[in-house]
Amino acid sequence: MMTRDEAQKLARKVLGLATFPECQVTITASEQAYTRFANNGITTASLNLRHTVAVAVTREGRSGVMTVNDLDDASLKNAIKKAEELAAIAPPNPEHLPLLGAQQYPETHDFDERTANARAPEMIPHVKTIIDASISRKMVAAGLVERTHRVTAIANSAGLFGYHASADSQLTTTVRMADGSSSGWAGQPSTRLSQIDSKQLAAVAIEKCGRWKNPQKLAPGNYTVVLEPTAAGDLVRLMASGFSARNTDEGRTFLSKRGGGNLLGEKVFPEFVTIRSDPFDPRQPSSPWTSDLLPTSAITWVDQGMIASLAYDRYWAGKTGKAPTPTIGFGFGAPAGGSITMEGSNATLDQLIGSVKRGLLITHFWYIRPVNPQTLQQTGLTRDGVFLIEDGKLTTPVMNFRFMESPVRLLKNTVKLGQAVRVRGLEGGMMIAPSLVANDFPLPSISDAI
Amino acid sequence: MFSRRDFLATSAAFAGQLFGSPQNSKIPAPDLEKLGDVALREARKYKATYCDIRIVRLRDQRVGLRLSPERGTGKTLAVPNVAEDSSFGFGVRVIVNGAWGFASSPIVTPAEIARVTGEAVIIAKANAAIQPKPVMLAAVKAYRDVWSTPHEKDPFSVPMAEKLDLLRRVTEEVKKNAKVFSGSASLNLRSEDKYFCSSEGSSIQQLILQIYGTADATAVDRENNVSRTRTYTPTQASAGWEYVPEMNLEENASRIREEVVEHLSAPPVKPGVKDLLLMPNHLMLTIHESVAHPTELDRALGYEANYAGTSYVTMDKIGKRIASEHCTFIGDRTSPRALATVGYDDEGVKASQFTIIDKGIFRNYQTTREQAHLVGDKESHGCSQADSWATVPFQRMPNVYLQAGPRETTLESLIAGIEDGVLIDGRGSYSIDQQRYNFQFGGDAFWEIKGGKKGRMISRVSYQARTPDFWQACDGTAGPAYWRQFGTTGDAKGEPTQINSISHGCSPTRFRQINVLLTD
Repeated sequence: MMTRDEAQKLARKVLGLATFPECQVTITASEQAYTRFANNGITTASLNLRHTVAVAVTREGRSGVMTVNDLDDASLKNAIKKAEELAAIAPPNPEHLPLLGAQQYPETHDFDERTANARAPEMIPHVKTIIDASISRKMVAAGLVERTHRVTAIANSAGLFGYHASADSQLTTTVRMADGSSSGWAGQPSTRLSQIDSKQLAAVAIEKCGRWKNPQKLAPGNYTVVLEPTAAGDLVRLMASGFSARNTDEGRTFLSKRGGGNLLGEKVFPEFVTIRSDPFDPRQPSSPWTSDLLPTSAITWVDQGMIASLAYDRYWAGKTGKAPTPTIGFGFGAPAGGSITMEGSNATLDQLIGSVKRGLLITHFWYIRPVNPQTLQQTGLTRDGVFLIEDGKLTTPVMNFRFMESPVRLLKNTVKLGQAVRVRGLEGGMMIAPSLVANDFPLPSISDAI
Repeated sequence: MFSRRDFLATSAAFAGQLFGSPQNSKIPAPDLEKLGDVALREARKYKATYCDIRIVRLRDQRVGLRLSPERGTGKTLAVPNVAEDSSFGFGVRVIVNGAWGFASSPIVTPAEIARVTGEAVIIAKANAAIQPKPVMLAAVKAYRDVWSTPHEKDPFSVPMAEKLDLLRRVTEEVKKNAKVFSGSASLNLRSEDKYFCSSEGSSIQQLILQIYGTADATAVDRENNVSRTRTYTPTQASAGWEYVPEMNLEENASRIREEVVEHLSAPPVKPGVKDLLLMPNHLMLTIHESVAHPTELDRALGYEANYAGTSYVTMDKIGKRIASEHCTFIGDRTSPRALATVGYDDEGVKASQFTIIDKGIFRNYQTTREQAHLVGDKESHGCSQADSWATVPFQRMPNVYLQAGPRETTLESLIAGIEDGVLIDGRGSYSIDQQRYNFQFGGDAFWEIKGGKKGRMISRVSYQARTPDFWQACDGTAGPAYWRQFGTTGDAKGEPTQINSISHGCSPTRFRQINVLLTD
């Protein structure tokens, strides 16, 4: 993969081709290896290499951006020429800001060389473990094991340069009864492939599948729920876009007050709710720079239930006399950002279940979509294991439900947290999330899906 | 892994030169055929029983303009966004010992094609160790052909100034009402040059063009903490620049400007069981989610169980009723201007059309070559597609449309038959379970229907249903004069996720007694 020196050399070459006073270059290179399986066999496996060079040029506020993946001199020259042509006829952008000069970027990621270079010999044994365990229980496994190795470099004509390499991996599996009467899921993302425990994941998915067989219909309504960490993360991460200072000031987020103003400094959630973004947490990869190319640092968004920060980009910070917020993945409508952490407690999932008189245990959610972007009301469905809790014990498998709820109300109604772990939702969002117990979770209709 | 030297000094020929102009010839460019041959030769050397290669160049141009107030002054600022992406590379698929292997690279040289073909073979051999049954491919004819989206004017050749000028006129129109907080408009142009050849003897060059546009208006009520956006999305089309005037962006800008203001103060829906009249630009997504996805054979057989899910349309449903007699759905990769229309799919199968649901009876799944034999078919329905040179082709939906109703059924006659209902226009929130039973859809704008007449605008509407019940509740669709197709451009499926663009056509259609919800 491209080294820092090589990236710098390539960036200098591109910057040297530009004739406009401002030029910014973003170089990415990635290698992805994966093995996909279904019906107890491997279905596809692949090794993909990709790279791109994006050039953004500006003159007198007029900007153009061109991204290419041909890296020979002629192609790079053509990319600059094209970007400059686009910029020449674009109207001036009144929100354009001058380029940042040289920055000191922090090291944010515990890069694991073995994960970055893993291939079939490191991945197929995980697949075999899951398939063998499923076959031994007459169940059917599907899933994915993958690793990615990414390099990103940024540079501009004002002397800025940054280089960042990251590696990440994940294994997810869905184990179903051969007759389709039940389904169980387990997944683990990890910055170290060697820490993925396929035996444990197989055991969890198989146990869920066995326990959820022939789920019963329960009346729709509001329930106390125990959300496993993946389910909690599926919803909590969707609050991120609500922290945009600009959208809040413009009256368009849950933090906007009626008639103007915002809820900064006000206690909105129970005191045990603390949400941070921490680019230095070794459990999840994070960029060392923000989308504005400022060095990232840890930010507390919700501090013991109080709204502690709003996210200002450089432009809006300048307009409002605030400092720009050194954040990625929070506040700018990018809820998939990987550095969000919600603090948990030492309580185990069993202890959370044990604290509930009557409620539901939910494994994770699926097809979550916004219903109201301002209140952050979402709808989606439970999947791969819902269980009735009675007197602190799991008693009956229950059919899936559709939910309609905002993560804001969910956290307001949360009464207890469990241990926090790194999670990755089915639709890709990542964070460190705890299991939690919440009251009055709306589950207005039943789904027949297994 | 590509070497550092390759990364820094790739000697790939210019993609533009390589693909040339496919409209002028019926035989693929000789340089492409030579590059393709490298993969086929290499695969034979490794005793692969099948090999194909796709060499692909993707271009994506995005032009946008937003008008919004400057903080403090209230002055309207015009914020432009002009960007273009280009991506070029190849992917090789092989079957060795009955198992698939795939590898790809952005370095399009004979040496790299030979090396990557070897990588694909290594992967296939490793996969064969956990392969319950060898892959079987349905027969396919060999074609040597060139195909292109019918078009008159290459949209990439149109000056940027002309595009920005159109967007400026549209956004200015949107902002004419002082109650509109911000307005924006965009154009997105895509092209895909694709060369495919396979060990079955095919050599096919294609050029696929797509154009999308939008205009939207946002209004904010600060006193009541409410904001609404109204979007006009013209039909997304496979076409050349000559299509852009037909988008009527300017003509619709004034309409959405007035409707967003009305929507901001529109009363909330009274929830309950009501009849629905769904317009084509809304129903297209309901068709996509509840008809097109569940009739994908890979889902029905469990191949997507870990992500997209399985399907309620199980194999025993073939020949059974799953919708009312008003519902005939066609899978079609030949529909004019539709987004999934091609000459050939990514396995070299010639584009065709087939019946999925005939007057409510389920007839056919969507298939690829390796799936056809699983439902007793001898040929694939041509539904193999990859979203890039870097990704594996797999089963993706064709354009799926609902046939129009009888000529005499009009929009007005459908509305006249509704005592208490809602007319829904445009796309809103959409969510459906992993077997495609329980869905909930919102919309972009809603009107009350009372006593057979369309009335005032209402707000906060969503409807929820169980798919087989919903389509059985369809009791009429308007005639051919009302039939429109609309596209969706971000359809996600597969792991790692791939994105697909397809079109779904229909006329305004009526559904009886559906559960209507009040949202936030």
